[in-house]
Amino acid sequence: MATLTRQDLNFGQVVADILCEFLEVAIHLILYVREVYPSGIFQKRKKYNVPVQMSCHPELNQYIQDTLHCVKPLIEKNEAEKVVVVIMDKEHHAVERFVFEISQPPLLSISSETLLSHVEQLLRAVILKISVCDAVLDNNPPGCTFTVLVHTREAATRNMEKIQVIKDFPWIVADEQEVHMQGSRLIPLKTMTSDIVKMQLYVEERAQKTS
Amino acid sequence: MDELYLDNIDEYINDHNKIVTYKWLSLALGVHVNIAKQMLYHYLDRCRKDGSNTQLHATYLVSGKCVQNGSLCHKVSVVREDKLEDMKSRMEPAISIHVYSIQKAEIKDSSTLYSTDYDAVRDNLKNCNKYSAIHCAAAVPMTTAELELIQEIQRTSSPEKVTNAGLTAQAPVAKTNVKTSKSIMGMFANKKSTVKSQGSNIEVKVEKKEDAPSVEAVEVKPAGMAKFFTKSTKKQDKCIKTEAEQSSPVEKKDPELPSKLDDEKEKGLGDFKAKRENKDTRSKTKRPDLTDSEDEKIETGSQKKKRRRIKKPQLDSSDDEDLPAKPAVITTESPEKTTEKQPMATPEVSTGGKIRKRRRVLKPKTFVDEEGCIVTEKVLESESYSEDEEVETSKPKAAVFPSFPGKKDEGRRNAKKPAAASNKSSKQASITGFFQKK
Repeated sequence: MATLTRQDLNFGQVVADILCEFLEVAIHLILYVREVYPSGIFQKRKKYNVPVQMSCHPELNQYIQDTLHCVKPLIEKNEAEKVVVVIMDKEHHAVERFVFEISQPPLLSISSETLLSHVEQLLRAVILKISVCDAVLDNNPPGCTFTVLVHTREAATRNMEKIQVIKDFPWIVADEQEVHMQGSRLIPLKTMTSDIVKMQLYVEERAQKTS
Repeated sequence: MDELYLDNIDEYINDHNKIVTYKWLSLALGVHVNIAKQMLYHYLDRCRKDGSNTQLHATYLVSGKCVQNGSLCHKVSVVREDKLEDMKSRMEPAISIHVYSIQKAEIKDSSTLYSTDYDAVRDNLKNCNKYSAIHCAAAVPMTTAELELIQEIQRTSSPEKVTNAGLTAQAPVAKTNVKTSKSIMGMFANKKSTVKSQGSNIEVKVEKKEDAPSVEAVEVKPAGMAKFFTKSTKKQDKCIKTEAEQSSPVEKKDPELPSKLDDEKEKGLGDFKAKRENKDTRSKTKRPDLTDSEDEKIETGSQKKKRRRIKKPQLDSSDDEDLPAKPAVITTESPEKTTEKQPMATPEVSTGGKIRKRRRVLKPKTFVDEEGCIVTEKVLESESYSEDEEVETSKPKAAVFPSFPGKKDEGRRNAKKPAAASNKSSKQASITGFFQKK
């Protein structure tokens, strides 16, 4: 039974791996549930011992993977405050924002035996909440697109610009209209607290979606 | 009956935005499943009658006999409310219809229903059938005495099954096998796929046979090593893969069969190992591909080497064919060759007791071809020689040159070539031998 402390080199990587895997599943599920892409491109796969919908389209998958590959170093260093999946309408105005607020406890020693199954259970619950979120959300207009934003510190942004983690996959500062929404209401979905990470998922939804 | 349960259901659905299935409700409230189904029905009925604003969606479980693909079968399926009538009409008769779940959101696919019950059942794993309506009188947990008896029987019968054990994909064994076999078989880096199946052969024995004699282990190992070099190991991998695939679809079924769902969940819940196994079989199937490509590379590499070897003599012959194109050269060559051959012939006759060997030498041959041109070609001919003659043969050739002072350069070059060729083929060739004659 290994005990991991924050000082261990592996700790940040373990948390980053778990979170990035989870975010990949969550993004695919959001795209499926909010009908950003037609449901035909999605296929049932197994994650955390439950079926989840993942896309089969190679370019979409590659895009999501590259995005999370760049986010991973930020999570490792605990520099990512929020990861936001923004759904935009045809005029590139944000319609919905799925906000994953991530925070990691600074100093904690944990045992890995029960940890992973517990974390799996919590992540499963978050996935379930995403699948039923369309009960509390209005329908989106047709022809929506999505993008992923990361809220982080300025120093980290500079680093990201300097070191291109993936070639030809640059990150740019987000537009104002993607970051802020006019007349939005906040709908909390799920809060998850575990030894290694605390995560809050809520949705900011624009009051009037169809203009 | 209290109306409290209605408030509970209302709270779960509207406040918590949960999916309330009958199974989840029976476990949450501690009631029999049939009562839970009735509760859901009453709640739905009341909401519809009240005409409240909250939009509710329901799913139903329909079971009955229907004709599918020309044969009569008993079908059990979970359908959305809008497809209920359609499904009812297809079944004759529809034996059972009841509410499966109620929720606010419209369900797009069955995975959410499965996930809903997953944790609830997992938490109550030991008594998830407490409120169930499915009973079998013969299904009684075994006593400890019976358990021990079965374990002993397994231990004694496992020596016979050792050779087959590596092929069967037994989930808990396979998982530990893969883990431990990595360290031992890391030494055998060549064919990892074959190694893993052999590793599992060996490891299964270690686990199952606690008192097993080590002799059997040694016997299996050489047999395993023999298999190491045969191509039949690929079949073994396929066996593992197909058997794993057979076990995994069991866990992945949709909740169209809720009565079977409990069993599936127990299988899926009991071990994450099945998932690991899937990963391992996937990685195993990758490795045969890797080994195949390695083999191909080795083969092409050797082929390339073979090709290289073949090319050299071809190059030589092609170079030689270019030379006799000039007729002017030929006329000067012919008198040279006759003189060369004569001095070479004499030393061969004189020596008798020395070591004689036959060698292939490039010798120019002149002949008249179809067009009437005199063509000189270099041809490999076998010629007997002895090692001591090397120096002598070079002498008469050197003597030839001063007698033809007016020769052309091409002639000299051509004369040199047979001399050079003969010098090269002998072991003690020295270029300085040429200069000494002067």
